[in-house]
Amino acid sequence: MTLFLARRLLQMIPVLFFVSVIIFVLINLVPGDAARLFLGEEAPPDALAVLRHEMGLDRPLYVQYLRWAGGLVRGDFGHSFKDNRQVLPTLLQKVPVTAELAAWALLIAWTIAIPAGVLAAWRRRTVVDYSASAVALTGLSIPNFWLGIMLIYLFAVNLRWLPASGYVSPAQDLGRNLRTIVMPAFVLGVVLAAVVMRQLRSSMLEVLSADYVRTASAKGLGARVVLIRHALRNAVIPVITVMGIQLGTLLGGAVITESIFALPGLGRLAVESIYGRDYQMLEGVVMFSAFSILLINLIVDVVYSLIDPRIKLAGARS
Amino acid sequence: MRRWGVVVLSVVIAGSVLAAASAQGSRQGGTLRAALDRDPPNLDPHRSTAAVDRQVFQSLYDKLVDTDENLRIIPMLATSWTISPDGKTVTLSLRQGVKFHDGTPFNAEAVKYNFDRMQDPKFPSARRSEIGPIQKVVAVDPATVQIVLERPYSPLLYVLTDRAGMMVSPAAAQKAGVDFALHPVGAGPFRFVEKIPQDHIALERTPDYWAKGQPSLDRIVYRPIIDDNARVANLKSGDVDIINIVPLPQIKQLTQEAAQRGARFTLLERGAFQWYGVWLNVTKPPFDSKPLRQAFNATIDRTVIANVVLQGAAYPAFSFFPNGTPAYDPGWKIPPRNLPLAKEKLQAAGRPNGFAFTMLTLPGQQDQALAQAIQSMAAEAGIQMKIETIEFGAMLDSMVRLQHQAGQIGWSGRPDPDFDIYPHVTQSGIGSFNFGGYANPKVQELLDAARLLNDMSRRKRAYGEVTKILADDMPYVWTHFPKEYKLVSAKVHGFVQVPDGMMRFHKVWLSP
Repeated sequence: MTLFLARRLLQMIPVLFFVSVIIFVLINLVPGDAARLFLGEEAPPDALAVLRHEMGLDRPLYVQYLRWAGGLVRGDFGHSFKDNRQVLPTLLQKVPVTAELAAWALLIAWTIAIPAGVLAAWRRRTVVDYSASAVALTGLSIPNFWLGIMLIYLFAVNLRWLPASGYVSPAQDLGRNLRTIVMPAFVLGVVLAAVVMRQLRSSMLEVLSADYVRTASAKGLGARVVLIRHALRNAVIPVITVMGIQLGTLLGGAVITESIFALPGLGRLAVESIYGRDYQMLEGVVMFSAFSILLINLIVDVVYSLIDPRIKLAGARS
Repeated sequence: MRRWGVVVLSVVIAGSVLAAASAQGSRQGGTLRAALDRDPPNLDPHRSTAAVDRQVFQSLYDKLVDTDENLRIIPMLATSWTISPDGKTVTLSLRQGVKFHDGTPFNAEAVKYNFDRMQDPKFPSARRSEIGPIQKVVAVDPATVQIVLERPYSPLLYVLTDRAGMMVSPAAAQKAGVDFALHPVGAGPFRFVEKIPQDHIALERTPDYWAKGQPSLDRIVYRPIIDDNARVANLKSGDVDIINIVPLPQIKQLTQEAAQRGARFTLLERGAFQWYGVWLNVTKPPFDSKPLRQAFNATIDRTVIANVVLQGAAYPAFSFFPNGTPAYDPGWKIPPRNLPLAKEKLQAAGRPNGFAFTMLTLPGQQDQALAQAIQSMAAEAGIQMKIETIEFGAMLDSMVRLQHQAGQIGWSGRPDPDFDIYPHVTQSGIGSFNFGGYANPKVQELLDAARLLNDMSRRKRAYGEVTKILADDMPYVWTHFPKEYKLVSAKVHGFVQVPDGMMRFHKVWLSP
């Protein structure tokens, strides 16, 4: 296991290197002049030149890359072009918000999707199955900005039960934290739940028709034991793959949901950095997202082996 | 039954009298929450370029002079000013006993430092072109400062009501260098507490602010809520007390809601400050042809844009000077839509069957609706307009380099008319604000002359003549002047709306 982890972690280094080259080139290909966006439309040419020098934008691209990558290795992600704010502390300020949102969204998704998926497969082609699928399809097709605004109008404007926006850290005030996070987490969770439920239903159907499930039933085991212990455990593997991908996406930031609920997460940091051509800030966000996706893939692989002992981790001693 | 009614009524009356009394008594204190349309990127007034930064600056930095709700210049850090007969020296008397938030005294040396900072070639400041004609600033004595100009420059005082007139603490600016935006120190009624990007900016009251009894609020929290619908919903739910930008397509409904009994908010309207329309690039086909520009212009129905597309939340426009601003001329008529004229001009340009072009436009419901309205108006004359939606930075890049054919974009407006017109239609503005690539010696001459005049009625005459030339040359097709709105909670009192759209909270107080 240790050997496996060490190998996988080492493999991340070349991947992160390629990611860093690609995002650096892509970001610099985007039209738009960072110095002009900073100094404004009426900036005199000599002021623009001074600023480009200050930002290091007057150097050849490979020099800019090497300086930036060299900083990364030393743990220096650079400074924002906008107000010279340091990139890494700003990034780390956003991570708890996005991570909490992602965690609650996943929890809500699982709570809805797992019972719904199991029931739909078990009671295949009955009212239960059809209505679960109908609800899932609806959840999938509702745009989050619309659902978000509707929730705000219902719970914040009309009923006044919940705050309409903002974020309070759980360390500061747990009650307020939960009240601010519940609506955005629900908006994200509903869409995730729909995907997970559909995925779980189809893989459950496959497993339920397998011989060992029939054997388990023939042995006289109760429906619950068969469903949960024999079928679900095997059916959940492809679902975990999907969840891993979803979690990676969520950690990159849920831009629309964060915008509607005014949550200061990674998604909004990324978007504002794109609009302001804040190269170093944006590069920092993308590097962080790439790293978290790699990490989640690793975790997913480990979880596979925990759920299904037949799956061996390459390099692990059996 | 009736007796009970009387008792209930008198209890209610007594209660509301008490509530009113306590509201009177608690004028001091409280936290005002203001929602902004985006996150202010830079809190250094000498380096800021985003309009939204200026909202926070109104509380953080006092300026040399300010504008009142009628756009007249009023004293602020300067108590009076005189302009020499040759117009080349402006002498300011400074308010005495004022301190910056860090305790640094405000005096003539501080003013001089601020101008030196804006003109320092090693410290690229976004203010340089606004204060370009300033040759030097002389501290005559601690309470008097002289601004010496290369030539008379009539917009100067208005320029000083904005970012160029905002005074930063010399001690703090020297210490922080390029990090000043992270630790801003001014002389305004509120001082900086913290900024969490994309979350909030918190300010607290300055205990020894120079104006007696101001400010009333203990704290201001500015929160960026970028989604238009969410910003309005946050005001309605009571999560914020005021919002800086009210989406124009919602004005009609909000007016009705605010007029209902028991409404928890009011919608304020005062004048207009911005102009809006379509730039035509005169350096590239098809709009290098004047008749084609005129043909396109003749298809536009400005009344429909203001009253139907924007539901009355804008004035129809046919100049760079919005209704109510100093250079506005009510005698200037909005031309009606004229399809026969459009056809005639197309004929004259040798394109009787029309032509095709691409217009850049920004994302967002309002810009899309405007673009589609213009598209269908032009189509009726056979002009095929393709709409290309593009993000602001990329649009700016394309238009600054004059690579576009046409682009729909406006201007946030400045208190002095000069900055509403000069950089947009003169040679020196090419590569910055002149998105038409338009230059005309006559226009240049008239606008340069207007900069030398200190009398607004004479300046107005010059602007009228320029407008006549532009209405013929048509590098910019004016469409409308958006009206200035603020949506304010009923708890907020003492808020004075200024047409420049900036929220000043010096005298604002909150009822519970």
